[in-house]
Amino acid sequence: MSTKTRYFVIVSLLVLGVGFGTGLVAYYVGFPAGALASRGGPAELNFIPRDASVIAFANVQEIMASELRQKLHRALPMQENGQQELQAQTGINLETDVDTVVACLSPDTTGGGRGAGMVLARGRFDETKIEALMREHGAHVETYSGKRMVVADTSDSTQNDPNDSIRHRHAADVSLSFIEPGFAAIGSTRLIKAAIDLHKAGNNPQAGLESVTGNDDLMNLVRSLDSSNAWAVGRFDALRSQSHLPDNVLSQIPAITWFAASAHINGGLRGTLRADTRDDESANNLRDVVRGFLALAKMGAGAKPELQAVMQSLELSGTGKTVSLSFVVPAELFDVIGAAAGRVKPAAH
Amino acid sequence: MNAPARPIPPAPGLFASAIRIFDLSLGQMLWSRRSVFLGLLLGGPVVLAVVLRIVDTLHASGFRVNGAAVNGGTVFGMMIWLLFIRFIVPVLGVFYGTSLIADEVEDKTITYLFTRPIPRSAVLLGKYIAYLVCTVLLVLPSVMLVFFLIVPTAGGSVAAAFPGLAADLGMLVVGLASYGAVFALVGTRLKRPLVAGLVFAFGWEPAVLLFPGYLKRLTVAYYMQALVTHEMPQDSSVSMLLQIFHEVPSVTVSLLALGAIVGVALWLAGRSVERREYVLEQ
Repeated sequence: MSTKTRYFVIVSLLVLGVGFGTGLVAYYVGFPAGALASRGGPAELNFIPRDASVIAFANVQEIMASELRQKLHRALPMQENGQQELQAQTGINLETDVDTVVACLSPDTTGGGRGAGMVLARGRFDETKIEALMREHGAHVETYSGKRMVVADTSDSTQNDPNDSIRHRHAADVSLSFIEPGFAAIGSTRLIKAAIDLHKAGNNPQAGLESVTGNDDLMNLVRSLDSSNAWAVGRFDALRSQSHLPDNVLSQIPAITWFAASAHINGGLRGTLRADTRDDESANNLRDVVRGFLALAKMGAGAKPELQAVMQSLELSGTGKTVSLSFVVPAELFDVIGAAAGRVKPAAH
Repeated sequence: MNAPARPIPPAPGLFASAIRIFDLSLGQMLWSRRSVFLGLLLGGPVVLAVVLRIVDTLHASGFRVNGAAVNGGTVFGMMIWLLFIRFIVPVLGVFYGTSLIADEVEDKTITYLFTRPIPRSAVLLGKYIAYLVCTVLLVLPSVMLVFFLIVPTAGGSVAAAFPGLAADLGMLVVGLASYGAVFALVGTRLKRPLVAGLVFAFGWEPAVLLFPGYLKRLTVAYYMQALVTHEMPQDSSVSMLLQIFHEVPSVTVSLLALGAIVGVALWLAGRSVERREYVLEQ
């Protein structure tokens, strides 16, 4: 065998060896999140557990700086109260400190019926101030996998049934942890711990630790969204179970399995609602229902020229099991809302 | 004084002879003109993977097939089906397998090999092993590069897809071995083996797989399908038909059948080489 051939064999085996080694490491240990991936959706999804039933995203900076928000801000200034309260309690100024927010809902694994939630926020946070404020309200500090967690027990101590109290307490535990500088996770203790584990070890399905990026159903929905600055996707049954609607109302809702809602907020609002049904027949039924509502709405809007543009923009689409409704709310409509609010306000005094 | 006559060493056995031929043939096979073609053939998927990776990085909107978003693992599966299983593996088998003996005949160098004190079938076996090592060492790294370029994109997971990769690599080795053996037999038996090989790989096999019945069992592709872990892509009406008549044997049956194909084809090819008289054209 010539030297040239020997080198070729060595290089070839090296490529195979390195590839196999890397694959085996990924398989048994897992990669730190984002090591190789560009998975679609925000990077925060790497810290949300795979079993999340609903995930939502908002680019707070873009929304806060949008023309639409400025208009609403001028028209409805009373909305500032909530913001000021949040700033007083946590030191977080929603307009300047938070860049993006990703939230998730996860089904309750204890069988208590209540799901768990978590919000992952990127921005600029005064960690010391936030921690001190939470401790003032009775929270305590724990360490989990080398990360500080501020745990606030918000359980209702007036529960009579001791078992129910334990269950309720578990569901009501709220924690906060700064996983990275400028990256806060707040929500159910179970989910915060999972986020810390995912941040530390990355995806490792064999060890039972996998982020929602491994959930193809949800991720396909996330990737199907266009360039919107706010969206939510999830399993529809998760919404139904949280809705507390009467059974006879729930039974009338078509068999929707997945939903997705996205909106691009700038001068106006451009959005899409999408529902995936159990089968083609359910999708056709849902399309018929929506068509009926659209016809009614268009009839009703005939006398209101300011709503004409919105009605014209409504477009029902989708094939097979997918039903999709897109709409555009022009900036002018918000001017009308602002003017109407201006007229209503003096009457309230 | 006359030196005592040195005893004549015994002729090497079939396997030892085959290894010597392999050692000789591997370099010839790798650095021949055909290697340029091989490089282009296997560089194509890697270049395509690089382009897809760049597109995914720049646009970050994921891949779409027929309007549906798919992850990197699915795209890799499609590449395995469309590029490697349906094209590269049969092409390599045809071009290299049919030329194992035919090239030596064409170059009129077969005499040098056949006049050595080794079994004639060892020449074929050694060249077949050289073909297998050469193609495996080229195809597998190419697949490995494509895997790491494509799978992590659009939500794919290297960890989740890795067992599939191991199965793919094994399946490709088995495919190269099977097609190589079949076309080695074609190369030793027929006068124009390349044409016959191309007709078999791209005429007979796809045509027979489209129809129900037993004829598909006379193809290599039928048994290969059972070893593929990826979903067959629905890229054309032909693929749709293939899915309708998708009848897949079990993995055990496929492995046994492919093993039998390799064994029988090589035995017949070796027998043919042993018995055939090669007349070199002047």
